[in-house]
Amino acid sequence: MKMARRAPSLPRGAALVPLAVLVLAAAAARLLGSSAPAALVPENAYDAPSLAHLFGCGEGGVDMLALLSSATLSALALAGGVALFGFAIGTPLGALAAMRRGYVEALVGRTCDALQAFPSFLLALTVLSAVRHPSRLHLACVFALTGWAPFARLALSEARVLRSAGFVEAARALGLGERKILFRHIVPNLLGTVAVQLGASASAVVLSEASLSFVGFGAADGVSLGSALDQGVSAMLRAPHVLVFAALAVFATSTSLLAAGRGIKP
Amino acid sequence: MAEKAPPGEGGEPGEAGEPGEAGEPGEAGEAGEAGERPEGPMAKGVVAVARTFVTQVAGQLVVVLGLASAVFFSLRLLPGDPAALVLGELAGPDERAALRAKLFLDRPLYVQYALFLKRLVTLDLGESLRRPGTTVLSRLGGALGPTAQLAFLAVLFGALAGTALAVLAAGPWLGKKKILVERLLDAAAATPLLAFAPLVTFVLAAKLRVLPLPGDPDAGVSGLLFASTLLAIPLGAHVGRITRAALRDHERAQFLTVARAKGASFVRVWVLHALPASVGPIATVIGTQLGALLGGAVVLERLFERQGLGSLILESYSARDLPVLEATIVLTGTLFVLAQSFAQAVHGAVDPRVRR
Repeated sequence: MKMARRAPSLPRGAALVPLAVLVLAAAAARLLGSSAPAALVPENAYDAPSLAHLFGCGEGGVDMLALLSSATLSALALAGGVALFGFAIGTPLGALAAMRRGYVEALVGRTCDALQAFPSFLLALTVLSAVRHPSRLHLACVFALTGWAPFARLALSEARVLRSAGFVEAARALGLGERKILFRHIVPNLLGTVAVQLGASASAVVLSEASLSFVGFGAADGVSLGSALDQGVSAMLRAPHVLVFAALAVFATSTSLLAAGRGIKP
Repeated sequence: MAEKAPPGEGGEPGEAGEPGEAGEPGEAGEAGEAGERPEGPMAKGVVAVARTFVTQVAGQLVVVLGLASAVFFSLRLLPGDPAALVLGELAGPDERAALRAKLFLDRPLYVQYALFLKRLVTLDLGESLRRPGTTVLSRLGGALGPTAQLAFLAVLFGALAGTALAVLAAGPWLGKKKILVERLLDAAAATPLLAFAPLVTFVLAAKLRVLPLPGDPDAGVSGLLFASTLLAIPLGAHVGRITRAALRDHERAQFLTVARAKGASFVRVWVLHALPASVGPIATVIGTQLGALLGGAVVLERLFERQGLGSLILESYSARDLPVLEATIVLTGTLFVLAQSFAQAVHGAVDPRVRR
């Protein structure tokens, strides 16, 4: 965190390249591929990779390329949505807390700390235990419940510095209301810094979703990186390609999001 | 839950306002591993740990209460009949009524809540729905041990490996190759456990056959060691990076120059002088990583088909065994909170600057 990152001498957009490549590859595989991600062809079960099925087949004969590409895309969509939602809620909340000072500031700060440290897994389970067949929307709600905390924490600590800046005092002296100061002067100055968290948050959502579906709590349709990984583990000896490709997909999705997040410079 | 957590701040002075005795020589704590310390400060340290621990726990109990309430209300306030959730849609009205009576679902909500809290406090958790005759408590007891072993070993390995690598990356022994250690830590921190744990298992257990396969009942100690090593890797990477950053802060500190000038070896300078001053960040990062560690433990218990709290949660969730599920979630949350308070208390005991 505190480590000075020796900035690589790459052009600014380079950090986005892995994510863009992943999205394009998955979308292309999804559009060009013939089979639906959940189509079962039992006679192909656990077939090794071949020209017809580049990544081979998994349980029940699903085409691994189709399954993994649509799982990757939906994981990215879920993660991106949750991270942007957290960004949109957390940033103004943290800034507002810093402006109000006192009790509100302490309350928001402590809540963020508690939420960030608390095992999100337990919270997710607590909420999911009330639904019989969780859908992707349920998962998104569960992640959004805590997803705003890191953004609010960052915004709070940044706004603590900004709130006594000269231009804020000037705005106040000119008679601007607190709300205008907040949205015209504080929040715009926070956006860049807080946006750095987007990649890390999205990557964490991808991993939480995959972990949940790996242990059997995922979306009911079964199109998920975690359930692909689960197939791979149970067929480890028969068809190792399932495990290898699923693990690579999890790795590629989460690290490309992390890398893209690092590309955002305040 | 979110609104309940903040009152914890009242009882959470471990960070700033703990009125501990200042001025005692707290430099060498347990990270110093210097056994021969005088009796007095040691006893004071123990008292300080105990006091910080107790105040922490008092505050954190609020968090646990919040979690328990969230478990309770999410099952009862969200739409849908819990009895139908447990029995399935096909169950007859009589069966449902019997179950509702057994789970107190036929009483008013506030009575249910009071009963729920009372049963938690008195540890009278009732029976498992799916395994009549076994108490919830006995199932929890059977699951607690394996998970505790796994988590304890993972924290131990992770903390040791992380600090060792950080000291290696800070000290003069590796020369230019130091950067490789840092790169290794960065890479390990960015690699998700979920991706590499199954792959490593596949290579070591299925291909090379040096380790027992997942689900092997004879896995025993080597299975435990393997699982906890895997779990320790992300933790160790985080510990290593934070420790490295903390050591870098101290790199040019006067007390290290003085120690060096007095003729202390590099090992002595880094391990006995620089490391104890960095115990704070180490304890803090372990505390904040405990949640992730718990999630990792659930994944690994599933991967290796091990007994434990994680697999108990999974089992009771899919069987809709509500009493077991509720109790396991609350117990796991409590353990998490206790471990986190302990990490902060250790920080307070070892670093007198925190106590003030």
